[in-house]
Parts: sequence; C-alpha cells; structure tokens
Amino acid sequence: MNELQVYLFVALILFCLGLTGVLQRRSLIAMLISVELMLNAASLNFMAFNRFLTPEPAVGQIVTLFIIGTAAAEAAIGLSIILAVFRRYQSIDIERARELKG
Amino acid sequence: MLDGLSFELLMAIVASMAPVLCFGLIMVFTRRSISASVTVGIIGSFLSWFASLYLFLHYFHAEEAVVFKGAWVVSASLKIPFGYYFDPHSLLMLMIVATISLVIQIYSIGYMAGDPGKSRYYAFLCLFSWSMINLVIAPGLLQLYIFWELVGVSSYLLIGFYFEKWSASEAGKKAFVMTRAGDIGFFIGIIILMLTTGHLSIAVFGNAAEVGNTGLSQALLTLSAILIFSGAVGKSAQFPLLTWLPDAMEGPTPVSALLHSATMVAAGVYLVSRIFPFYAASSTAMMVVLIIGTITMLLSSTMAMTARDIKQVWAFSTISQLGFMFMGLGAGAYFAGVFHLTTHAFFKALLFLCAGVFIHHFETNDFFEMSKAGARKMLIPMITVTIGVAALSGIPPFSGFFSKEAIMAGLAHKGNIWLIAGLLGAAMTAYYSFRVIFVMWFPKGEVEEHGHGHEGGHDDGHGGGRWAWVTEWSMLSVLLILGAITLVLGFFQKELEHFLTGHSAEHHGSQLILVLALGCALAGVILAWFEFGAKNAKQEGFLSRMKSVEALFSNRWYMDHAYRKLLDYVVYGGITNTFTRNDRVIIDGGIDGLCRFTVSLGRAVSRIQSGLLQYNLYLTFLVVALMGLYFLLV
Amino acid sequence: MADFYEIVRQWPLLSGIQVVTALGLLVIMFIPEDRPEVIKKVAAVFSGLDLIICILLFLAYDKEIGGLQFVEKFLWVKTLGIHYFNAVDGINLPMLLLTGIVLFTGCLTMWQLENRVKEYFAFSFLLVLGVFGVFMSFDLFFLFVYYDIALFPMYPLIAIWGSTRKEYGAMKLTLYLLAGSALILPGIILLYIKSGLWTFDLIALSGAQFTPYIQSIGFLLFYFGFGVLAGVWPFHTWSPVGHVAAPTSVSMIHAGVLMKLGAYGVLRVGAFLCPEGWVQWADLMAVLAVVGIVYGAFVGLAQTDLKYVIGYSSVSHMGIVGLGLSTVTVSGLNGAVFQMFAHGIMTALLFSSVGYIYDKTHTKTTFELGGMSRNMPIISGFFILAAMAGVGVPALASFWAELLVFISAVKVFPIRGILAICGLLVSALFMLRVVMKTFYGPANPKFAGLPDVNFWLASPRIILAGVIVLFGLFPWLMLNLIQVSTQSFPKVMGF
Repeated sequence: MNELQVYLFVALILFCLGLTGVLQRRSLIAMLISVELMLNAASLNFMAFNRFLTPEPAVGQIVTLFIIGTAAAEAAIGLSIILAVFRRYQSIDIERARELKG
Repeated sequence: MLDGLSFELLMAIVASMAPVLCFGLIMVFTRRSISASVTVGIIGSFLSWFASLYLFLHYFHAEEAVVFKGAWVVSASLKIPFGYYFDPHSLLMLMIVATISLVIQIYSIGYMAGDPGKSRYYAFLCLFSWSMINLVIAPGLLQLYIFWELVGVSSYLLIGFYFEKWSASEAGKKAFVMTRAGDIGFFIGIIILMLTTGHLSIAVFGNAAEVGNTGLSQALLTLSAILIFSGAVGKSAQFPLLTWLPDAMEGPTPVSALLHSATMVAAGVYLVSRIFPFYAASSTAMMVVLIIGTITMLLSSTMAMTARDIKQVWAFSTISQLGFMFMGLGAGAYFAGVFHLTTHAFFKALLFLCAGVFIHHFETNDFFEMSKAGARKMLIPMITVTIGVAALSGIPPFSGFFSKEAIMAGLAHKGNIWLIAGLLGAAMTAYYSFRVIFVMWFPKGEVEEHGHGHEGGHDDGHGGGRWAWVTEWSMLSVLLILGAITLVLGFFQKELEHFLTGHSAEHHGSQLILVLALGCALAGVILAWFEFGAKNAKQEGFLSRMKSVEALFSNRWYMDHAYRKLLDYVVYGGITNTFTRNDRVIIDGGIDGLCRFTVSLGRAVSRIQSGLLQYNLYLTFLVVALMGLYFLLV
Repeated sequence: MADFYEIVRQWPLLSGIQVVTALGLLVIMFIPEDRPEVIKKVAAVFSGLDLIICILLFLAYDKEIGGLQFVEKFLWVKTLGIHYFNAVDGINLPMLLLTGIVLFTGCLTMWQLENRVKEYFAFSFLLVLGVFGVFMSFDLFFLFVYYDIALFPMYPLIAIWGSTRKEYGAMKLTLYLLAGSALILPGIILLYIKSGLWTFDLIALSGAQFTPYIQSIGFLLFYFGFGVLAGVWPFHTWSPVGHVAAPTSVSMIHAGVLMKLGAYGVLRVGAFLCPEGWVQWADLMAVLAVVGIVYGAFVGLAQTDLKYVIGYSSVSHMGIVGLGLSTVTVSGLNGAVFQMFAHGIMTALLFSSVGYIYDKTHTKTTFELGGMSRNMPIISGFFILAAMAGVGVPALASFWAELLVFISAVKVFPIRGILAICGLLVSALFMLRVVMKTFYGPANPKFAGLPDVNFWLASPRIILAGVIVLFGLFPWLMLNLIQVSTQSFPKVMGF
C-alpha cells in the first residue's frame, strides 16, 4: 500500500461516513454535516491526485478551492432552508417534512 | 369596361339591380323612417318595371335570344357566368314579375299601414324582386339556381315577417327546409349536367337540337331531368313537398299574393318550361312531371274543399293550378303550361289581394265570418274577387278559361285518363272556389252588418283620416288593374302564342273538349250553388256528411303528420340522438377514460413517493451505484 | 396606385406584422393594470395596424406574377439549416387577412371586458403572434415553434376568462392540440432526416424526392396532427367544448382562425411536402370529411346552447374544407381555402353576436332566450345573416366555397359528394331551428329594455358582415388570388 492509496482509503472512509449520515440521520443539521463530509472526501481525493500524479498544473488544488467555495454557499443555502423548515414545522426532523408524499 | 355597355345592357342592369340597391339602402339607411323606405322601395320597383317594359318592347320582335354575360367566378376549367338572357319566355316572365312586384308594393302602402316593421317589409320585398328578376333572366342553370336559393331566403324572411308569432316563424322554417329538400336534388342534377356536358347554358338546354348534341346518355338525361324537377317540386309545392305552402299563408297577404301564388311558386313551372326541350328529350321525365302534376292537382283540390280560411283556399288552389301547369307541360303542351302560368299569375294575385282587403277590413281569415260581417257591402273587392274566381274556375270569357282549355287540349292529346283527371280537377276547382263566392255574397243566419264597426278606429291607427283615401285607394286601384288584366288577357292567346313559339297554331282543341271542360266547371258551380248559394241552402258541403273523408281532407291527407313523425322518430329521435350519444359516450367517454386512466396510473406510481427525503436519496444512490457497477464491469 | 403597390412590394411587410404584434404585446405589458381603457385602446390600435398591413398585402400582391412574394429569407442557424423565411402566396394571404380581420374585430368585441384586461389582451396578442407566424413561415422549424406559441395561450385564456366548464374545456383543448403537435414534430423530423438536405426550408424540402412510403407516413402524421386542430372527425369533440368555454373574442379567434391553422397545416405541410401520400390517403380524408359534415350537422340539431350549436356547425363546415382538400383538384382546393376564409369570418360574426347577447342576458340557452329580434333587432340581424351564410345562402361568401367544393367532390367521389350535399339540408334545419328558437317567437319580458348595440359596439359586426357580403357578391376578388397558388400545387388535377 503506497501513500496515494492511504489517502484514497481515508477519503473512501470519509465518503462512506458522509453517505451513511445523509441516508440515516433524521436531523437536517446532521445531514448537512454529512454532506460536508462527502465534499471533504472529494476534496481529499483531488488533493491526493494532484500531489502524487499530476503535480505541475495545480488543477486539483483549484478544484478543491472551488469545492470549499461551493460548500460554503451550500451550507448557507442549506442552513436557510433548515431555518425555513424549522419555522414551519417547529422541528428539524426530516420525518416531519413529508408534504411531497404521493 | 364601359365600351360594351350598350343602352340595352344598362336597362337590363337597371331592371335587375335596382331592387337590390333599394334593399341595401333601406337596410342600412332608411330603416328608421318608414315613409322614406316605402318611397325608396316603390321608386326601385318602378325603375325596374320601367326598364323591364323597355326591354320587353325593345326585344319584342327580336329574331333570336339576346344574351349578355361575363364570367363571374373562374376556377380552373370551371366557369360560372353571370348575365342576362332575353328571349320571349324570359321577357314574358320578367314582365309578369316586375308588374306584380310593382302593384304589390303599391298595394302594401295600404295593407301594411301602421305596421312598425314596414321598412323591413319593403326591404325584403325588394330583395325578393331582385332575386326573382335575376332568376327569370338567368342565362345559365347555375345562376338560376343561385337566385332560386335567394328567392327561397326572401320567402323565408317574408313568411316569418310576423316573427313574434311562433306559427309564422315555424312556417318560414318549414318552407325553407322543405324547398331546400327539393333544391338539393336540383343542385345535384345541375352538377351532374355540368360534369357530363361541361356547360349549363339555357341556350343549350332550351334548344331541342342542342340538347341532342350534348352527348348526354339517355339514362343520365332522365336522371338529371328528374333531379332538377325535384327542385321544381319543392319550389312549386308539388306532391310530396306541398304542405309548406298552406302554412306559408302566415305571412302578410300581399306576400302571399306575390310570392306564394303569382311569381315565386311559379318558378318551378318556369324552370321546367325554360328547359322544356331538355325535358321533352326524355319521355320518362315527362311522365314523372305529368304524374306528379296530376297527383298534386287532385290532392290539393280535395284539401281546398274543406278549408274555411280564405287564404288557405287560395293556397290550395294555387297548388292545384301549379299541378295543372305541370300536367300541361308533362303532356307536352308547352304553350298551354306557360299561358296558364301567365293568366294564373294575374288572377291569383287578384284573388289574394281581394282576400287581403277583406282580411284587413274584418280582421278575420274565415270567409263565413266575413260574410256575416257584411262583406258583400264592399262592392269593388266583391266584384273583382268574383272575376278572379270565374277565371280560376275556367268560366268564359275570363282569362283562366282560355288557358285551362289549352291545357285540356294537351291532356286529351296525351290520353283520356289524363283528360278525365283534368276535368275532375276543373270541377272540384269550380266547386270550392264558388263555395267561397256564394258564401260571401249570400250570408246565412244572423248578419251583423256593422258587427265590427271599426272604420274610424282603423283610420286612426293608420296615420290619420286625411290620408285614409291613400290607404284605401292604393289597395283598390290595384284590384281594378288586376281585374282588368284578368278580363282581357285571355283574348291575347294568339298573340302570346306567336310571341312565345313563333307560330300560332289553329284552335287546336276540339269542340268536344271545350264543351266537356265547360260542363265540368258548370257542374261544380251548380253544386256549389245548391249547397251554399240557394235560398234555403244550409251552407254545408256534401263532405260534411262523410266525416272520415272530411277529416282526411282537412288534415291534408295526414302528410304533415307523416313528416312530423319522420322528423321526430328518424331525425331527432334516431340519428341525432345516436350521434349525440356517440359524441358523449364513445368519443368523449373514451378520451376522458384515457385521461382518467393516465391520472390513476400516476396515482398508483406516486405511492412510491413516501415523502421522506432520504428514501429518494437511497434510490439515487442505488441507481448511481448500479450504473457504476455496470460501467466497471462492461 | 400601381406605382404605390410597386413601392409597397419592397417593404418587409410580413416582419412588419410580427413587429407590430410583438410591439403591441410589449406596450400592453408596460401599461399599468388599473388603466383598462388605455389598454383596450392600445390593443385596438395595434390590431388595427395589423389589419391595415394585411389589407395592404392583399392589395399589393401581384396576381399576374403569382408565386411567393414579399419574401424575407436569411439563414438563422447554419448547422441545422434553419431559415427565417417569410413569404405570401395565394393560400396564406387570405389566411393572414382573415387573422387580421378577426383580431381587430375581436379586440373591438371585448370592449366591455372588465376582468383582468391587461393579461387578457397580452395573451391574445401572444396567441395571434403565433397564428400570424404559422401562416407566414415557409420554414418548418419556425412554423412549428409558432404553432406551439399559438396553442399555449389558449389555456389561460379559456381557464381564466371562460364560462361553462372552463377548466375542463381548457384542459381538453390543450391536451388535444398538444397531442396533435406531438404527431407533427415526428413528421417534421422524419422529412428533415430523410430528405438528406439538412434544411427546414419548406420549398427546398418539397424538391426532395421522398419515397412513396415516407410520403405516406409523413402525410398521415401531418393529416392527423394538424387535423386535430381542424376538427377532423372523430377528433372534433374538443372544439365545441372549447368554443363554449372560451370568452367571446377567444371563441372568435379560436373558431375563426385557429381551426384554419390545422387545415392550412394539412395543405401547406402535408399535401405540399408529401403529395403522393396526399393522393394515397385522399379516400380516407373524404370519408372522414363527409362523416364530419353530416355528423356535425346532426349533433348540432340536438344542442340547446347557442355556442354549442355554433361549435358543431364549425365541425360541419370544417368538414367541407376537408372534403375540398381530399379532392386533389384545383377547384376543390380553391373551394377549401375560400371556405376557410369564409367560415372564419362567419363564425367570428356568430360568436361575436352571441357574445353580446350573453353579456346582456347572461344566458345562451335557446329556450331561455326567444324573441330576441324584438329586444335586440340589430344584433339579431347580424346573427341571422351569419346563420344564413352558414346555411349556404348565395350572395354570402361561403356559398361559393361550398359550390366549388361540392362540384369537385361529386366529380371525384360521386357518392360521398352527394351525401355531403344532403348534409346541407340538415345544416339548414339546425341553423334555422336555432334562429327560430332564439330570435323569433314572443319576446321574453325578462329581457325587455336591454339595450341593443350602439354604433360603436356594432362596428366589429358591421365589418364582419360587410366582408361576408362583399366576398359573397364578388367572389372573384378572393378566388383569383387563391387560384394563383392552387394551380401550381403538386399533383393536383386541373379541374
């Protein structure tokens, strides 16, 4: 197992943790945090590939910066949605927000 | 453009277009002012009459038919011309139509006095004159058909003139639809002719030699002749499309005189006589004309015997006289048919206008009541109505005698059975028409001479006493004019025959037929005298002793019932109902069902949506993972 | 005058129509909602301008030369072969004139609208923008886009301002028409691909030699796709329901113009591009058309709602258009195009008159009305005139159209032609029945004293009635124009 694989492995674990969190946690805040975890896993992958495979054009780093930017925006929008949900249902439990039921 | 405009053409345009111009003027501008509308209408009719008179005199000695025409509609090889065709026959008809239109417009000043819809009435009369005149001088069958339809429309509008009465608007609709039924045959016949021969010119179909040259097979010729005749059956109220005409009497009486006796209903006879050589080329078609004419003549004579409404009597007699004309034409007596058409136009207009005077005065249509109210005191109408009836019954020396006698001669030529039918008809005609006359001259039972006493009231209603004489004399003068024509027209038989056919035959009826015809008419008169005229007559017809026959006659042989049933059960109950249900249940039901199926399918599928966000995410993940696997493996 | 027309021919009048319509739409959008009077005036002015341009086109079109005139063509998207290609010929010019007249009179008819005036006129202009576009485009791509633009505003127009069962009617109409357009698009793509020319240009495509098999399929797609809009039996039931639900001027545009869009599409796209298919399916077309004529008239006989009656009469009359198209003869086409025009004007007048009566009496059921000739003589006169035109009375425009169609139909399909002629009797019966029940008979005291139209309210009806009579008395004004183009149509018989 070389160093790249270690990074990829860590990222995989992070991603799986995040996925499990998004799919399993009923609290919207926790889901948002889990999404951040998945994003971080992706960032980690980019950094690792950048470092070990194509160091010269720092595209990986640029993408990571983008991800951080979008993550911030996403968190802002996500939190405001959560706030709106809380105002409506007095709770951030996702089981309460079921208006799209068919 | 103006190069080709000769003075004759200008006169023809005036004759044919002045009325429609007046129609437009009245409808658009003078609708509010009755006197202006009347003036416009009468000036238009007079112009048209004057131009017709000019044309009549100008072309009286013309050797050949004069034709003006230009293409009106051109579509590929299809050319629809519009124009004028002047030959003796059309000139004679033009004169009849223009004259009667004019006198009736004058008469209507009095008859329609005080009616708020008088402007509309004059506009419609003008519309009618326009269409009838153009029908008469049409150079081709298609133009004839076009104005034929327009005549039907004006008839519809005029019958329904008192539109607030259901019966009047019903009658208008009935007239339109019934004549339309015949016209559809006419239309198909024209199309067949047009497609097989390539032209529709009257110059062709009105000429025996040309008809032979068209290359029309005998079967097609007969078929198209019968189809075209069905138009005439509708318009001239022949069997089986005859019941609209008695109902058409719902219109104002001058309209009945103009349209439904003298001119419009004669259009059918005119059509057949117009292309007489064409009919003559098919013996089957001629036989059909003869048979239909005979049936109609006998049927409607029986109906007239029981009617109590004076206009109904005249209406039935119109139908029967039209049938008589068709008999003449069908028997091959061209001149006799046309001559009877001419004399009939005047004396029947006269009869209706007299009836109009009585109706106007007594406000009833029942001649028994008129008689009781003192109809015989009104000398001028009484005398003129008697002249008219004498002409109708074929009593010499009135005009009807000569024309009927000519038809009888034609029938005798054809075969004895037709002559017998004709004589029977003549006897019935004399009987029912003198029934009216005797009842009116010799009232029985209590007589309320001044029963209604509304001389004064009438005048007040009609715009003041100072103008009462206009009202009265506009009507009476017309009666006198028509009465005079009826008296003298019969003596012009030779001249007319020469004018129309180019030669005047010898007196072609035998003395025997003359005696027979006269004898039958007198028998009818005498029977009527004993039942209605004589001192101690009970004024009950011999039919009242045969209840079932009387019921049959007065219910018009149950023809209306049959039509009603046909409409109710077949048209409304059957086809319409089926189609409507089909629309609602099958087509709409099918589409709605499809929509409902789609919606319920959507409902069913939507069960998957639990509403919980994370299930959707599971699904997304699952699909992405499967896709990843797929790409990994393949 | 001739010199003036010579100059006019240099002007891009067709784009002018679209610019004026779009400008009208924009201006209406920027007028504040609380000034309905201004909106109505603006709408009348812009639609009047449209009408003037249409009349100018009609007069300036050179019948001697014929063919496409007022051509405006340039490349729009090179890679796909889409052109901005507008032109007029003898077939679409009457349609443009019709649209102009109906739009203008429709705007005047809605003078008394009070509810959400701004949106109403905005949607109307959008609708007409699409209609004008379809009629003038000679590029299939633009034609299809305009076609869908014309379909979409019908939904809100009916669902918001409509009456009887408006949601149902609006939904049914929209679904039907979209289903139709779902057939047209595959047809267009089929021809686009099979031609191998990579162009949507209609004229260029007509030069492509499609195999008979492709033409057969293509024509069928276009026939049913556009035919739904033309009310071809048995896809007609949306039309009476839609007419009934729609507000007056929408009914006018809808029955007067939109249904013609379908017939025009069948002719312009289907018959023009797939003449073989046209000839092949003519038999079926004739059958459906005759069934439509007779069926529409019989169902009309059972209706008691005035607007339903007019709706079914439209089905019957559009059947005549279909019959004319199915004959594949010059006269049949002349009759069909003329009938499209005449029927458009006639139904517009019918709906316009009924609209006024409905506004005043709040009913359009025949047995609740009755004797309207006494209460409202002028508007009744207009209705009766239009009904007479519907019955096929000579001297009114539709007579000539029917005459030409029937003559050529009897020539090509004798039995079906004669059956269709017999349908005339039924149509006379049901039109007169309605006229009698509604306008004749004793006047209903409930409606005594209701005002009849004054001159201004009558003006749109006067225009329509005038057009009916004008082209009824002088049919060659229109027929000579139509003939220019129908003669050069592919595959037609010169009858």
